[in-house]
Amino acid sequence: MLNSLSLFIGQKCQIVDSTGQASASLTPGHSLLPSATGSTAVSWTMHRTDYSSSENGLIPTSTYHHNQQTEPLSREVQDGLNAPSNASTSSNLEAANGPQEYAGYSSYTSSTDAYGYGNTGYQNGYYYNYPQQTTHSYSQQGGVYEHSGASYQPLISFQNTGPASYTSTYYNAADYQTTGGYPSNEYNNQTNLWNQGSYAHYPSHQYSAYTSDSNGAQSSSTVAATPLHYQQQYKPWADYYSQTDVSCAPGTENISVASATTSGCAVPGHTGGYPFSNSQPPPPGTTSWRPEPSSSELPSSQAGAVTGDAHNVYWKNENGTSGIQNNVNPMPSYFQMPLNPNPLPYESSQDQQKIACPQGSNLQYSTISQVPQSQVPQNYQPPLQTFPSPDTRRVSKLQVPTNPRIASNLGLNLPKTDKDSSTTNAAAKPAYIGVSMLTSNDKVPSHESADSMFKPGMFPTSLRDYVERALARCNDDSQKAACQNIMKEMITKASADGTLYTRDWDTEPLFPLPDMHMVNKDGKNSGVVSSLPKYKRSPSRRTKSRWEPISEEKLVEKLASVNHVSVKEFSSGICERKDDGWNNSKLPSLQQQTPSKNSQRPVKKQRLGDTVDAAENDGASSDSDKEQGLTAYYSSAVALANSPEERKRRENRSKRFEAHGHRANVKHFRQKAVGARSFYSRRASVLELSRSYEDGGSRAVEDIDWDSLTVKGTCQEIEKRYLRLTSAPDPATVRPEEVLEKALLMVQNSQKNYLYKCDQLKSIRQDLTVQRIRNELTVKVYETHARSALEAGDLAEYNQCQSQLKSLYAEGIKGCHMEFSAYNLLCVILHSNNNRDLLSSMARLSDEARKDEALKHALAVRAAVTSGNHVLFFRLYKMAPNLNTCLMDLYVEKMRFEAVRCMSRAYRPTVPVTYIAQVLGFATVLPTIEGSEEKDMDGLEECEEWLRAHGACLITDNSGEMQLDTKASSSTLYMPEPEDAVAHGDTNLAVNDFLTRTS
Amino acid sequence: MAYLSMGEAHRRISDYLNRFYDSVSSQDGSSLRQLLSVSSDSPHLLSLADALNVFQDANRLIKQADRYSQLGEIIAPLFRCLQNYRIGHLVDAYNAFEKSANAFLLEFRNWESAWAMEPLYVIAYEIRVLAEKADRELASYGKNPEKLKGAGSFLMKVFGALAGKGPKRVGALHVTCQLFKIYFKLGTVNLCRSAIRSIETARIFDFEEFPVRDKVTYMYYTGRLEVFNENFIAADKKLTYALMHCNPRREENIRMILKYLIPVKLSIGILPKSWLLDKYNLIEYNDVVQALKRGDLRLLRHALQEHEDRFLRSSVYLVLEKLELQVYQRLIKKIYISQKQRGPSKAHQIKLDVIVKALKWLEIDMDVDEVECIMAILIYKNLVKGYFAHKSKVAALSKQDPFPKLNGKPINSKGTHKNKNVPSVLGLIIPFFFFNFFVCGGGGG
Repeated sequence: MLNSLSLFIGQKCQIVDSTGQASASLTPGHSLLPSATGSTAVSWTMHRTDYSSSENGLIPTSTYHHNQQTEPLSREVQDGLNAPSNASTSSNLEAANGPQEYAGYSSYTSSTDAYGYGNTGYQNGYYYNYPQQTTHSYSQQGGVYEHSGASYQPLISFQNTGPASYTSTYYNAADYQTTGGYPSNEYNNQTNLWNQGSYAHYPSHQYSAYTSDSNGAQSSSTVAATPLHYQQQYKPWADYYSQTDVSCAPGTENISVASATTSGCAVPGHTGGYPFSNSQPPPPGTTSWRPEPSSSELPSSQAGAVTGDAHNVYWKNENGTSGIQNNVNPMPSYFQMPLNPNPLPYESSQDQQKIACPQGSNLQYSTISQVPQSQVPQNYQPPLQTFPSPDTRRVSKLQVPTNPRIASNLGLNLPKTDKDSSTTNAAAKPAYIGVSMLTSNDKVPSHESADSMFKPGMFPTSLRDYVERALARCNDDSQKAACQNIMKEMITKASADGTLYTRDWDTEPLFPLPDMHMVNKDGKNSGVVSSLPKYKRSPSRRTKSRWEPISEEKLVEKLASVNHVSVKEFSSGICERKDDGWNNSKLPSLQQQTPSKNSQRPVKKQRLGDTVDAAENDGASSDSDKEQGLTAYYSSAVALANSPEERKRRENRSKRFEAHGHRANVKHFRQKAVGARSFYSRRASVLELSRSYEDGGSRAVEDIDWDSLTVKGTCQEIEKRYLRLTSAPDPATVRPEEVLEKALLMVQNSQKNYLYKCDQLKSIRQDLTVQRIRNELTVKVYETHARSALEAGDLAEYNQCQSQLKSLYAEGIKGCHMEFSAYNLLCVILHSNNNRDLLSSMARLSDEARKDEALKHALAVRAAVTSGNHVLFFRLYKMAPNLNTCLMDLYVEKMRFEAVRCMSRAYRPTVPVTYIAQVLGFATVLPTIEGSEEKDMDGLEECEEWLRAHGACLITDNSGEMQLDTKASSSTLYMPEPEDAVAHGDTNLAVNDFLTRTS
Repeated sequence: MAYLSMGEAHRRISDYLNRFYDSVSSQDGSSLRQLLSVSSDSPHLLSLADALNVFQDANRLIKQADRYSQLGEIIAPLFRCLQNYRIGHLVDAYNAFEKSANAFLLEFRNWESAWAMEPLYVIAYEIRVLAEKADRELASYGKNPEKLKGAGSFLMKVFGALAGKGPKRVGALHVTCQLFKIYFKLGTVNLCRSAIRSIETARIFDFEEFPVRDKVTYMYYTGRLEVFNENFIAADKKLTYALMHCNPRREENIRMILKYLIPVKLSIGILPKSWLLDKYNLIEYNDVVQALKRGDLRLLRHALQEHEDRFLRSSVYLVLEKLELQVYQRLIKKIYISQKQRGPSKAHQIKLDVIVKALKWLEIDMDVDEVECIMAILIYKNLVKGYFAHKSKVAALSKQDPFPKLNGKPINSKGTHKNKNVPSVLGLIIPFFFFNFFVCGGGGG
């Protein structure tokens, strides 16, 4: 369905592209994708409009295209490089980035231009258009880009909500670009989307903190054109990360973290991307500058400062997110470069936008996002070498850990997407991705603004920090824009008098906040927005067109609903990876903001909406996440099958996993919020793996490196409720073995009822399974659970445990094998009544086993049952070892009834009830024991009651002893309906009943 | 392997191809059949395999002889199978053969007449045998043996191609039998049900029109299924049919049938002669029969214990164990007869103590309660007629036919065995003749 939908959307998008107003058609597609929340939808529309505006701003990009075109070759080279080569790519990036971008542009230009320029819809296309284009575009570069963009977005959502996702998407985009040259365009577009999303999200939360970071990123992006820029950007990124971290700490933990990660990711991506798309175009000169300024200006004077640059406008329109997006784009391009080598990525990205992203993300991600986690080192190394700062970023980013997984997933996904229809799905999902993008955007915007301020990103990190600090104070976008203007002036001044690098920005006092009026004047955001659509058609629009989101904005209104959904999904995806609360809250906020108007207002609204939206989103998140994960899966699988880099990715992946420990530590802080993400990514990776294997055909399932996918829990809580997993497990909520041991002890010593124990044991079992722990502890847990299930008469649960125990014992793990063989035998004899099973169970018993007390007993019970010897049965019942009694309990009723029927037929004229009570186990204590008489009496009464309940005729003989009138009873005996029978047949489901029995 | 020139290899392969094409074009099933029996180790196929290993480009030859280009789909994998089989790569051989078999089935569906039944039978047989060998190889690698399962699903496809109307229906039973063999080996006998239903409910084709060998095999397996379900009457019927129609010279087959038929007959009160057990080497049943004759519970338990492994594997253990009640019946009857000899007046009253003593004498330790229970069960299941007086601990036997014979009827709890058509004295002997007769019939047929 997804695929078809995505295709559908894609088609529509294409249409839109051609007309530039296909937005309406696009919207349908969106709506199809997710069920959008009304509020989010609205916000989306707003975003789109922003985008459109941004597109307008892009118009200037004509230079861009040229630049890019010139550079294509270099890009391709970079693309050729593997993810591992990231470092090299990074280094190349500087030099090559520009080229790459160029290349992308060149290819894009033609295609993208058409898209962006001709179509306002480009932005709209963001998701829609891109997907559409991708499908078509495969052949068409522009189309490809769009697809990749779409895929990216989805990927992002799938992967880390924050940076990772971005990077991944970027990567994909990069791949696309590299292959077609389109990638760059796509990136931009995608990034735009991202920006939007992020924008909306971030504004409220991170806005202030991030802004500075983003600025740095932006600056870096500007630098991007130059190799140096890249490095710088990275540093900013590092700052960014640190900042984001800080922000996380203060505010909502989860959210902040997510934002931080996202921002960090976004930033890197932006920086990289920027250089490519924005700055690269600029490299030629003005274009790059323009974007930067625009980004910087975004908040306050976006319109004014950026005026010249379509990008700037774009950014402004989009709340500066566009700028961020641009930055982000560069990153993707970097990543993409590595990814690029694979032609497949395009297709995959196109088909499965999400998937495509993953691929890119794998290599690149690993470098970027992973770096923060632990994986980063590997991938990153290249980047690190070139950019020391990235490391810091990694460190600062706690969230990163999740990203790696995602990245890996993504990488895998790409190939599959290409092949599979799933790719189309992915495309459809891109909208979701867009959401994730949004989150990044939020952060990005700040970056952009900062970047623009700093322009090339050559600025020292301290300056970036300063800018961030300054922007952090801003209450809204207009203020921010004003601040940015001021800062721009300051910086220009500083650079003019040569103090830019000598001044101590860390201690530099912040300038007073500008008047809002000023801001308003400066901030032409609204105007920009409106104008944006117009701009789109100009060359600069290309970039915007790439950002297709802009066009979407227009469409947004209609699509809004769809978008909202997508947003939610994204957010959910993000949340899962990073902090659920975060993404969700942010996304809604974003949505709201965008609707409200561009970047400025979003902040406030976001804040308000965040909490509310977050709550709403939470509910929806899981589903969307799943979808995303699935798409990621497919895409990844495709990628695996197809991509030549698979091996490398795998290595990366495994490395990432090695880093788990670090992650775990980090995650502790974040606690549960982080877990969700990892779940996703993990699942996605698994899916990818399986997918890829399927595709590969020749590969066997056994070849999957499950070890690398195994979770290592970090949760220290002993008590944990069982919740059936609906996504990949989150290490933060999984308890490690030591804790599980304690938990088992706790359950064993617990005085609470079976329901509680069952719940606890199930959660222990789940944690064991998730971590693939199969040792004596596992056996103990299953044995404990099986025993308590037997005690409570919960056969269903017992059977689950028994089947697990069977395989555990078969693996040679020690436990109470005999005891459970006996249970198994009894179970077969008494409950399954399947002769074949019984025979095979008996045939399997070893001679040694036959000497075991419990097994002997079980075998004797079997004999008693098959011969109908009730006397023997109840004797065995009384002397049953272990919990054999419990299993026999379940058969007692049947046995007694059969026995009484037998008696009523064989005995004449009467049978004393006392005898029946004794023989049929009603008397619980042997008569020789002291006080037995009393007990016998109890048993007698019970027996009498039972006999009457079963229709026996009881008479009292001359001596006053109760007798069973056998002749009369022989025709009146019946088996009463079980009193506790329930309509659905499972009495265990009747909780009240169950509680009374077990508590 | 002797050196093989390219020319010779080429000649052998071309020869095989020509024969294959000729047999298909002339619809010569029996000669085609020989070309397909991979595991037959026929010298012709062995030399062909050698030639294939020398001459690596056999596919070109197949393509060249494009008279029947569609047959290339069958032959190419078949060649691979032969090559792999020759060098002992059984899993690869199976995989290739399955491909070839699928291609053959595709062609087979297009052939109107049933001329290719024999080749199809060979394929059904080969795929099973190869799958078993492949599974052994897989198991030796520690991998999951799943090829037999795959063969089962292929045969299900074949069954689908045959089960409809038309002349090919004759082959349905043969394929069903191959399926039985697979499912019994895999322990998934419940999968047989659909095939059985299809065979037994089809009205367009009389069961008797199937080839005898298939009928016997089919009856044997369905009889075994009935033993599983302890449906002794139906099992007796089917297994007896199989025994009657089995080729008497196939002693191994007769033995297999008897292995299940004897417990079934015992369960319904019919005992075999000892020579029968000797002749077919079924001595594990000797003690069981003796115990039944003598009412020697100890002997029965001992026999069951001694051959437990074998009985469990052939899944007749539970059936034999249930003979215990008949042994009790025989024991009580003995007590009754001896009491009658001493004093007929109170012979029909058997005290529990006496039974306990008798069991003690057999070294079986049971207390009064348990014996009382056994007596109740005997009465309940109609192995003893009479009633039990709890107060006096005495079993009062009916004066008329206190120990009803089963006479070909299974022990029945609700039994109202009122038929007294068989004199008690001859009770044990007549069914025996009966049985004997069946065996002779089988031998003569």
